[in-house]
Amino acid sequence: MKVHDPVCGMGIEPQSAFAKRDHLGKTFYFCSQACADQFDKDPHRYVMTSATTGFNPERILTRIELPVSGLPIKEHSTHLESVLRALDGVGEVKVNATTNRLEVQYDAQKVHVSKLVSAVKSIGFQIGGAKVKIGIENLRCASCVKFIEDELKATQGVLNATVNIATQEASVDYLPQNTTLSELNKAIETWGYKPRPATSDAPVHKQEEAHAKEYRKLMNKFWFAAAISMFVMITAYYQVVPFLRDWSMDSLRYLWGGTALLTLPVMFWSGSDFFTGAWASFKHRSANMNTLIALGTGAAWLYSTFAIAFPSVFPEGTSEPFYDVVAVVIALVVLGQALELRAKGQSSSAIKKLLGLQAKTARVIRDGNGMDIPVEEVLVGDVIQVRPGEKIPVDGVIVEGSSAVDESMLTGESLPASKKMGDEVIGATINKTGAFKFRATKVGKDTALAQIVKMVQDAQNSKAPIARLADTVSGYFVPIVMILAVWTFVIWFVIGPQPQLVYALVTSVTVLIIACPCALGLATPMSLMVGIGKGAEHGILIRSGEALQTARAIQIVVLDKTGTITKGKPELTDVVTMDGGQWTMEEILRFSASVEKVSEHPLAQAIVEGAQARKLELAEVKDFEAIPGHGVSAKVEGQNILIGNLKLMNRENIALGSLEEKSKSLADDGKTPMFITLDGKAAGIIAVADTVKEDSAEAIAVLQKMGIEVVMITGDNRRTAEAIAKKVGISKVLAEVLPEDKANEIKKLQSSFSNSLVSNIVAMVGDGINDAPALAQADVGLAIGTGTDVAIEASDITLIKGSLKGVVTAIEVSRATMTNIYQNLVGAFFYNILGIPVAMGALFPFSGLLLSPLIAGAAMAFSSVTVVGNANRLRGFKPKFSVR
Amino acid sequence: MSNLQIFVILSGIVLTILIAWYFWFAPKERTLATVSGSGAQEVAITVKGGYTPDVIVVQKGRPVRLTFTRHESSACSEKVLFPDFNQNANLPEGEQVTLEFTPDKVGEFGFQCQMGMLRGKLIVELQENA
Repeated sequence: MKVHDPVCGMGIEPQSAFAKRDHLGKTFYFCSQACADQFDKDPHRYVMTSATTGFNPERILTRIELPVSGLPIKEHSTHLESVLRALDGVGEVKVNATTNRLEVQYDAQKVHVSKLVSAVKSIGFQIGGAKVKIGIENLRCASCVKFIEDELKATQGVLNATVNIATQEASVDYLPQNTTLSELNKAIETWGYKPRPATSDAPVHKQEEAHAKEYRKLMNKFWFAAAISMFVMITAYYQVVPFLRDWSMDSLRYLWGGTALLTLPVMFWSGSDFFTGAWASFKHRSANMNTLIALGTGAAWLYSTFAIAFPSVFPEGTSEPFYDVVAVVIALVVLGQALELRAKGQSSSAIKKLLGLQAKTARVIRDGNGMDIPVEEVLVGDVIQVRPGEKIPVDGVIVEGSSAVDESMLTGESLPASKKMGDEVIGATINKTGAFKFRATKVGKDTALAQIVKMVQDAQNSKAPIARLADTVSGYFVPIVMILAVWTFVIWFVIGPQPQLVYALVTSVTVLIIACPCALGLATPMSLMVGIGKGAEHGILIRSGEALQTARAIQIVVLDKTGTITKGKPELTDVVTMDGGQWTMEEILRFSASVEKVSEHPLAQAIVEGAQARKLELAEVKDFEAIPGHGVSAKVEGQNILIGNLKLMNRENIALGSLEEKSKSLADDGKTPMFITLDGKAAGIIAVADTVKEDSAEAIAVLQKMGIEVVMITGDNRRTAEAIAKKVGISKVLAEVLPEDKANEIKKLQSSFSNSLVSNIVAMVGDGINDAPALAQADVGLAIGTGTDVAIEASDITLIKGSLKGVVTAIEVSRATMTNIYQNLVGAFFYNILGIPVAMGALFPFSGLLLSPLIAGAAMAFSSVTVVGNANRLRGFKPKFSVR
Repeated sequence: MSNLQIFVILSGIVLTILIAWYFWFAPKERTLATVSGSGAQEVAITVKGGYTPDVIVVQKGRPVRLTFTRHESSACSEKVLFPDFNQNANLPEGEQVTLEFTPDKVGEFGFQCQMGMLRGKLIVELQENA
């Protein structure tokens, strides 16, 4: 039986073959060393060809299309072509400059796609492929890495693949149109491994992992320091230890020498961060907590070592060491850092929750086939299928089907929103009932969720003005503490009791150790992080710490009428029949809706929707005619119909009777009445109005109860405005304000009540687009956002849920957070202001009380833990209006 | 008062002056950003117990590209904030993280880690040959 050499294609007898190789369960024979070497270089390439012969005699060129980006391809296409042609095995190269696609025909045996890709990249282009990370379970053998990589590379559409045994993950560059995630998974499975979702690329996860690692490291350092501390403590209090107290001073000194050596690793391993940190900041002419700890423990160690090495230099009774201070303080501070780290992890849970909302995969329909791909690879324009119960992966517009969607995670709105063709859907919301397809409009960092996350993260790391005080203080804090420590030493040394040197040293070390600049520095950011995260959980996006701080003190809330208090969209409110008229309400509505169906006027839309809501069947319309400024006329089922205002009725000389009076009272209520005539006789009135949102009145009442003045502002006429204001309980109305004057009105409100020198803090609530100048003028601008339009630039706070209750919750979040910040700041200031004098020995003259450096270390370690813990209390914040 | 006591008092005064001078009054070394081929002002900053360099001078209106590399695992420095420019970045250990923005105001602006233990200063100056 003859076989073919897979490299050169020569037919050879297996027995007489020069060499043979086993690869992927098949045996290959070679005619020469050269061919065998060639095979060894990249065995996988030859496996891809015909399985029966081991050689593909036809050498059909493979065609591949690569999306290219990065440079204007038009100008560089010839260069691109020549670079690719220069590669061995590349046939035709076509560059399509308009679609930015590159078509290459190549010999898969001579050149691998990855070569093509690197050639393209070498001249500055990017291949617009997708990148995915796939986790591989229990990947332990290093040799399998190569096999899996080869298998992945051999999969159609894969540009490059690398497997990292440390992370147990494969990262694959591929063309989403040529392969799917399941194909890649299959490639891994052929080698007997189970693919799993990758974990390392989630940024939050990464940070969490780093935190977990750091926590373990700190805990190890702590346990080591604690173990040494135990031993050192025993030697330090030798007077009370039964066996040790009988030792002579000289033998004790040797024992202490031992503890001096033992505390060294505590300082330079457990406490290494303090010393390296202190040195690094010293070089930068700055000082921080590390400086204080390093100085305190360092001084204690040096003194102790001198004391036991040269006891004769020191006065009687002062030559005892305190290595216990060194070991115990370092152990405690390290423990404090570990606990702080753990508590910090909880503070950022809001972002974690938000990111957790993101769907992992999307079922995209490409070329008529549905395929599951990671959500990161969805492109704008992709059509995505969503089945009931699934998460919507990205933002888009429904193109087929309809459903109810639960958007509560983003908007806080508890009722599912019904969605039909043409409606916007938001990524990370959950499809409840129906199946639908939608076209992706925003992907990646542009999705509403991604923007929300970005905004919240930015805000969490912004600064509240109040933090500047703490910042200024902590800028001077550490050097001041150092100076205080110096003078503590001097005073105790000069006027202190015997043994002066010991007292002087212990007190100054205590001062260095008890001072805690960290608690000051942490006070604001930790609370801000929790508070802003809490707001986000309730559909309130606070843009900065400054906005959060100002919102606490809001005195006046100005509400835009249209779209803020009201729904911003007219609705059918009344149908009135002519007294003694022959037409029923339903008939009047049916006729007018039939006519208005043709019209595009927003009021007409309201009438049609009103009729549809009552399940009325609309009729055919003939001879529709719009009479500008008056109304419309048309013919329905043989009836001549006129719909219009009083002007139209007067022009046509229609007797209105009691209808005129009724229309006036409707108009007084802020509604827009329209008269209907059928065959020249008045039949009734249809009224539409922009209706008030269900919860507006309730929210306004709560705001007023909170002691905030509520003002309504609108461009509408006074009568309509007053009617709405009455309904929601607002007494102060600014009506007929031109859009450009709204900002001016806000300014006036800010400077009203001029009895006080400070201006009023005015919040403006509006829709963010028309009201942008007013939002910017206000001290706090709150934009009511809807759907995907969340990051509204002009606003300080965005209320995702279109409800005024959000204003209440925003103020509540702000008040709760600011209270928390005050507690932290006051606590941190008082801790230092009280702690440092006590450490200096301020109480000693009166009560003989002196703080032990050990207690100081514990206090310092736990003061910052307390700050973080207090900030975490905010996580239990519950708004007045529960959104879920 | 013994000589030793006088010596200690004098040492205290000297130390106080030294501390105040060293941390507050001594002029700090300023690092000028280099302008790269792309026109951005680039500075590479190492994060380890502090920012090196920590006083950076840039020009207004020209993009600034700061590349941070954190060489420590202490959670303190895992974030760097520029509160005046509303910029912040996570700094995973050992990774280069680039922060890019265009300073639109002149003055001295601090940058720091989240709790303010590590601090640096960005000095924005008016463009000289504008």
